[in-house]
Amino acid sequence: MNGNNDDNIETIECLNEYLSTHNNSEPFSYFSKVPDDCKTYPCVLGIDEAGRGPVLGPMVYGTAFCCINSMQILANLECDDSKALTEEKRVEILSNLLKQRNKVGWGVEVISPTFICNSMLSRSKYSLNRVSMDSAVGLIRKAVENGVNINAVYVDTVGPPEKYQAYLESLFPNFKITVAKKADSTYPIVSAASICAKVTRDQALKVWKFSEDLAEAASSFGSGYPGDPVTKKFLFDFCDPIFGFPQLVRFSWSTASTALEESAYHVEWEAIEEDEKQSKKSRTLMTSFFNMTKSETDSNVQKHNFFKRRNLSSTLEL
Amino acid sequence: MLVHILGGKNNLECSYRDSKIHSLPCKIHADCDAPVSKYFEPYVTSQEDGILKASFRGFPLLGMKINFPEHYKGIILHESIRPETEDEERRFYVVNNFNSITYWNWDKSPTKNDLFVQALDWLDIAEALHSPIME
Repeated sequence: MNGNNDDNIETIECLNEYLSTHNNSEPFSYFSKVPDDCKTYPCVLGIDEAGRGPVLGPMVYGTAFCCINSMQILANLECDDSKALTEEKRVEILSNLLKQRNKVGWGVEVISPTFICNSMLSRSKYSLNRVSMDSAVGLIRKAVENGVNINAVYVDTVGPPEKYQAYLESLFPNFKITVAKKADSTYPIVSAASICAKVTRDQALKVWKFSEDLAEAASSFGSGYPGDPVTKKFLFDFCDPIFGFPQLVRFSWSTASTALEESAYHVEWEAIEEDEKQSKKSRTLMTSFFNMTKSETDSNVQKHNFFKRRNLSSTLEL
Repeated sequence: MLVHILGGKNNLECSYRDSKIHSLPCKIHADCDAPVSKYFEPYVTSQEDGILKASFRGFPLLGMKINFPEHYKGIILHESIRPETEDEERRFYVVNNFNSITYWNWDKSPTKNDLFVQALDWLDIAEALHSPIME
């Protein structure tokens, strides 16, 4: 994570500016200046995510932290479950939170759709849960690095909370760690983190620049949830038969791959092909040993291994 | 069957020198033009170690540019009409040429162990074996 920023984000406009100047195919992160109070007095730190489910756009991990003594601020800011709030309300809460920069610190990691599908479609299959956990751990580490005096950490869970909590406890034995379902509606500090994440994701989509130069595609992609008819239409309208979708889309989602099967050329990957070839080779019939004639390949003059290993053959026909 | 490759010197020296050719580690079941500069090239980045990075249909790709040895050229042939029977003569026209290729692997840095890279060894060996001996 490269979360060292020269300029501080103090308004929603700054946030938009920050998001639009970043390369949106690579993950990037922002971490606010740590309030002096948070370096001196014990703090609570919350973590939540936004945009895990949608077929397009980045997934954003957010964190918020403040001194245990200043937690009343969170109640004053009306930090609540970000999903239960309207978009306008969330933006309003975040801009108020940004004004409290002497009391409350925050940070986000914007995980690009390209990074998400590249991870899920890598050879070693780096799962979305793993990506999520690593992002949460990265945010906690960043807070520690920047001098936040962490006392307790609250995290909204991915997968079974017990296992995730044990994992975080093993990494950070000095903090009181609570991993829970729906932590964003239970703990105000997680709500604050959730709002940071959710607003960042919404704004990232609003200022999204298509590297594919598809100006007409902007603002026509909807919420990104597979059930949204606008998103469905977008996947249909902006599908290139060779390349598929612009890289706003997470190719590894079944919604995307199903749409590709319908409207793009079929693509076969090398590794899968090789496996098939091998299994064909090993399928020698028992009866073939009793055949009077040798199979075709045996009668050919064998090429030297140098050529065979390199897939080289002389071409007389095309 | 006889194969004619037509085009000659003019086409080999033609202005398409900078053609960018990408070799992807997959088979695309298509035979048509592809908007490579629109969908693929904007995302090609260079890592610290010089290895190139890109993404195709969500799959992570790592690649490197392979320059052909001097005096070698890649050519792209086009056949206007494919004859109906196998015995007829076939005519191909040189429509483009290139001096390098960007070779991509799926989530694995290209190395000397890749078949494509190894296949180019033959060029040096062939030269040593088959070039006329000067006395």
